[in-house]
Amino acid sequence: MAKAPKQTKDWSPKSWPLRAYRLFTSFKLATVVLVLMTVVTLLGTLGQVEHGLHAAKEKYFHSFYFVETIKGIPLLLPGGLLLMLLLFVNMTLGAIVKVKKRWKGAGLLISHFGMLMLLAGGFVTWAFSTDGYMALYPGMTSNRVESYREWQLEIAPLSKEGVGEKAWIYPSERLDTMRSDEQRVIHAESLPFDVVINGYSRNATPVPTSAPIAAGVTGKEIDGFKLSPQKASKEAEQNLPGCFLEIRPKDGSPPIEAILWAGSYKFDPREKPMPFTFTVGDQLYGALLMKKSWTVPFEVRLDEFLFERHPGVSTARNYESRVTRLEASQPDKALEIKMNEPMRYAGYTFFQESFGPSGSQPGDEMFSQFAVANNPADQWPLWSLVVTGVGLGVHFLVMLVNFTVRSRQRTAPPSAKP
Amino acid sequence: MKIPAFLALLATALLPASLVARDAPKSALQNYVPWQDDTVHAFENLLVQQDGRVKPVYTVARFTLLQFLGKSNVSFQTQDGENHRLHYAAWFLDVLFRGEIAKDLPVFVVDDSEVVVQIGVSPKSKRDRYSYNELLPGRAKLAELGAQYGEKQRQYEQSEKDPQYELDRVEGMILTLGRNISSFEYLVGQFGFARQDGFLVNANILPPELLELSKRLVTLEMLDKMPEMTLDQLVQTIRQQPGGTEEERMFSGALRLFFFHANSARGLNFFPPQDADNEVWGSAGDLLLAALESKEQRPWAKEQLAGIQDLVDAQKEGEPAFLAALQAYSQKQHETAEARGEGHRSKLEIQLYRGKWFSNSLVCFVLAFVVMAFSWLTPGSRTGRRLLLVAGILAFVGLALNVYGITLRSIIRERPPITNLYDTVLFITGTAVLLGLFIEYCTRLGVGTLVAVFSGLLGMFLAMKYEAKEATDTITQLVAVLDTNFWLATHVTIINIGYAAGLVAAIIALVYLTSRFAALFHGRENAEFHRALTRMNYGVICFCLFFSLVGTVLGGIWANYSWGRFWGWDPKENGALMICLWTLVILHGRMAGWIRDIGVHMNSLVLAIIVTFSWWGVNNLGVGLHSYGFTEGVWGALYSSWAVLGLFMAMGAAVWRRERKTRAERKAPPAAGRPATA
Amino acid sequence: MAAALLSLLLPACGERDTPGLVERPLSASEQEFRLVDSSMERFRYSTRPAAPADESSKPTGLVYDTPEGWTEKPGSPMRDVNFTFGENGEGECYVARLPGSGGGLAANVNRWRAQMGAAPLSDEEVAALPTRPLFGQPARFVAVDGPFSPGMGSNETFPDYRLVGLILSADAGAVFVKMTGPKPLVEENGAAFDQFVSSLDVNLN
Repeated sequence: MAKAPKQTKDWSPKSWPLRAYRLFTSFKLATVVLVLMTVVTLLGTLGQVEHGLHAAKEKYFHSFYFVETIKGIPLLLPGGLLLMLLLFVNMTLGAIVKVKKRWKGAGLLISHFGMLMLLAGGFVTWAFSTDGYMALYPGMTSNRVESYREWQLEIAPLSKEGVGEKAWIYPSERLDTMRSDEQRVIHAESLPFDVVINGYSRNATPVPTSAPIAAGVTGKEIDGFKLSPQKASKEAEQNLPGCFLEIRPKDGSPPIEAILWAGSYKFDPREKPMPFTFTVGDQLYGALLMKKSWTVPFEVRLDEFLFERHPGVSTARNYESRVTRLEASQPDKALEIKMNEPMRYAGYTFFQESFGPSGSQPGDEMFSQFAVANNPADQWPLWSLVVTGVGLGVHFLVMLVNFTVRSRQRTAPPSAKP
Repeated sequence: MKIPAFLALLATALLPASLVARDAPKSALQNYVPWQDDTVHAFENLLVQQDGRVKPVYTVARFTLLQFLGKSNVSFQTQDGENHRLHYAAWFLDVLFRGEIAKDLPVFVVDDSEVVVQIGVSPKSKRDRYSYNELLPGRAKLAELGAQYGEKQRQYEQSEKDPQYELDRVEGMILTLGRNISSFEYLVGQFGFARQDGFLVNANILPPELLELSKRLVTLEMLDKMPEMTLDQLVQTIRQQPGGTEEERMFSGALRLFFFHANSARGLNFFPPQDADNEVWGSAGDLLLAALESKEQRPWAKEQLAGIQDLVDAQKEGEPAFLAALQAYSQKQHETAEARGEGHRSKLEIQLYRGKWFSNSLVCFVLAFVVMAFSWLTPGSRTGRRLLLVAGILAFVGLALNVYGITLRSIIRERPPITNLYDTVLFITGTAVLLGLFIEYCTRLGVGTLVAVFSGLLGMFLAMKYEAKEATDTITQLVAVLDTNFWLATHVTIINIGYAAGLVAAIIALVYLTSRFAALFHGRENAEFHRALTRMNYGVICFCLFFSLVGTVLGGIWANYSWGRFWGWDPKENGALMICLWTLVILHGRMAGWIRDIGVHMNSLVLAIIVTFSWWGVNNLGVGLHSYGFTEGVWGALYSSWAVLGLFMAMGAAVWRRERKTRAERKAPPAAGRPATA
Repeated sequence: MAAALLSLLLPACGERDTPGLVERPLSASEQEFRLVDSSMERFRYSTRPAAPADESSKPTGLVYDTPEGWTEKPGSPMRDVNFTFGENGEGECYVARLPGSGGGLAANVNRWRAQMGAAPLSDEEVAALPTRPLFGQPARFVAVDGPFSPGMGSNETFPDYRLVGLILSADAGAVFVKMTGPKPLVEENGAAFDQFVSSLDVNLN
């Protein structure tokens, strides 16, 4: 602990940069941030019981601040993102820049550097990684990865057989910001109509007006249905959004209205999505809510899906997929993807995640679901662990030697001392 | 070091109390002829597949009796005044082959006599043990109440723990008793198909004409007399009223009896399947139905079941014949199983339980505790030091027994030491004892021994309690994602070493705070000793940080490797993170000058709260990927242990206030008009 | 008061013009859509129209048509409507309603599965169960084969049974329709079950 000489309080603006530097390099800031992080982690853990994992993550950890009501008293607390930023700055300035470079402190210097890497990796992951899934029945081939919980509006010109070649998309980042009482008119130069969305609900069920329960649902009735908003599920993946859609043809013909519901998309990789169809001019169009998706630069074909359980009990023992990776310029490559053994290729990682359909009996055909992640910081934690581990190892070894040597000196009989 | 001498006296006073056995309950049996040891040994190594694993019947017997009785021995007194004490293996042999005797053995513990009153059975004492036959008059009422409370329990789970559906204590006990009675009936009925002496699980279960019929029919012979009908058609037949002729009624009765036997013989899977690729073993009931259903399987199934028939017949001839038959059956079964690559570790598993490594380890720690307590009577003397050494050696023996047991468990399942919650108790205890002994080796202050003995005592006691409370096999199968020896050996082991260190830090803090608090009264501060304790604790906290941090990051790397994300804010991950964070708080707070000696110790107690929350609490939040090993009553235990830690923190706060006051007085010049009391 | 302040702070909730449609080509795996005629089909309701409500009002407040060959039995506290069918009444079908949230769908599904000796489903698997309309709501459809153990207190087990059922779990309450019996018999009565379910309605008078 440095013994600073007593300072007179200098509040002039000139001293501010120095004061800020002192603050951001201080152990005190580090301690406060670490205490707050512990508190936030605890709240975020307990909060999962009530809100579910995804909502708790967003509220406590992916935020700059949040309000927690404890016994009726609202408390404003810093969020995980802010705390980690503070810690990053504090560590960079305090433990790397300011610290005296001595051999004795080498271990700590190295380990703090490792922790910085870990935090940086976390930030890169948070900001730049994508994750989604790909579900395939044996024999199916795909290069398309779907998001777990991001939905987008898609409008596509269709042939009479229901085949489309291109689509117009209202991206999930924008759709997701819609409130239920909001109405947005979206113009599109190349389409002969404007699109109006309103009544967007993150989780909803269409209810036929003939059902008794429909009496309690407010809102417009279209084609015998009302849209009943539901409480958002704790498992964000299970939410099925819905909204009202209005198509306003630019030629002045009457508008077309419909309810869109995410359930019209597909629950099973073999299903085809069921769009709401309408005709403007002579062109047939389909509109639907579908999952956000993106492609990987190669295709994957599922050749075989193997599934076994522990004998006589329901616990799944192992499930694995035999796949072939197809790429234009490369020879086909046969691989296995199983628990703890993912396929890593071209920056993407395919994990054996789950299987379906649910309730399938032995002998039924099953599909295999892969989690597909693309994380530029994928391997950073490993490197940071090595760095931190080495750093701490060096440091504690030095300390342990000191500790034992000193203890032995202390416990030795006084006569042994010169 | 001053620790009140009464602790030593207390420790010795408690010992005899635990050794006094209560009177054995009386049994309706006139006398009891025990099995010969050879017979029990031949029996206990029979193989059974249960919970996805092939294991000796010894293990099944152990956990079944633990479930019924909460103990591993049945004590009772027969009418001739003899006292008997039955080992679980012998008891299980009675259950399977001498059901009529097993029904009179007092194996159902009832913690509150209100339970038996409610089912209309006259109670014995408040907490007592009952035999099946004693409870039989209340069987129907028990089934009725059991169904009712089972439904209530289900609604409780369904309504996400709506308190109006919560079972009260007695209702919960009735539900458990009902389940235990039911599993006992299945066990007793297991080989009923092979007996024609009219012995049935429960005479009320069949109408009298079927009871008569059961004495005349050999179940296995019926198989060949069955008409060519599918199982469906046969089931239809027994659901219809039989026709008028004697023959038709006879056939219908026989069929019903057959299904009754097949149904009673479910649950214990003694028979390796015929097909080498099939992993699921069958019970006698499965085989009876298989033989009925398919003509192809009938010869094989009959041969298997005839093996049991031989055992049952041999048992009636006398014990020598029975022993020979058991040995022959066991040998054949092991050959079949080993050809399939199963059951070759069963002897080792029997050794694991027969050796009582863990309870002997507990005994060592209890003795060590007593010896250590005596050493406190003469602190600093040569005798005191010798006694401390003896306590250390006893703790070392306890550690060795613990490690041996852990090793056996690892070999049996071919896994690293930790695969479930029970394993963590054993492992963390071992690690904490080892840490304590290492500290003692380095410092020779007696505190290391105290840490070792205290954590050994507490940990092994917890392990024993946990096993008895769960009463299910602790060698379990792994879910798919844990099926990796590399990560189990690295991440899981390292993180648990971190937990152990966190707890050791807390024990040191307890010693420190007690000693400082005591000094408030007797006034003799041993500053040197206290400084040594702080250094020690600081070292342990660094150790904890190293292992928690490396373990946590390794866990993240594993998660990234197998699920595609390094960190998911899962409760168990958060628990580990909080441990890392709090150790960092201690280290940085010390550098910031905010905490000193006493602050380090007080914060170690907070660390212990976080460790216990992370170790036990998060599993019971009911969310997340790690929420395995659900155990009732954990929250109560956690809260009370936190309350104890809170008490010590209050003590610490008192010491801290005094310290601040004295320091302020020392610093400030004596004020005018007030005498300086430094 | 707070709400009023809040509404001042938020932008007006009127119509807003935003840019935003992005054009993109559809890749081979996404080009095919299923053209459906009605919202009924698009929202995964079966297209069969609901039967007109029965005139006679039943004490339970439920109206329905009794399928041919089914015998109505008196209800019980747990069962609003209770039928048996088959030559000896070995087939059973009942409707039960529970007030409150009805608890977890998964717990109910797995309770049924346990009765049939089947392994429990994970939450994801439950969420992906097919739906069929019940009272005009999408109810989860469960079908399990196996040995049927009716429940606690009874050690009886009937081999080779089939359980077919619907679970409707809504905020207002949960409704269960469950049919059990020997497998061939249940299969035979599948159409009757569908007919019964579609005829079920609440008498609001």
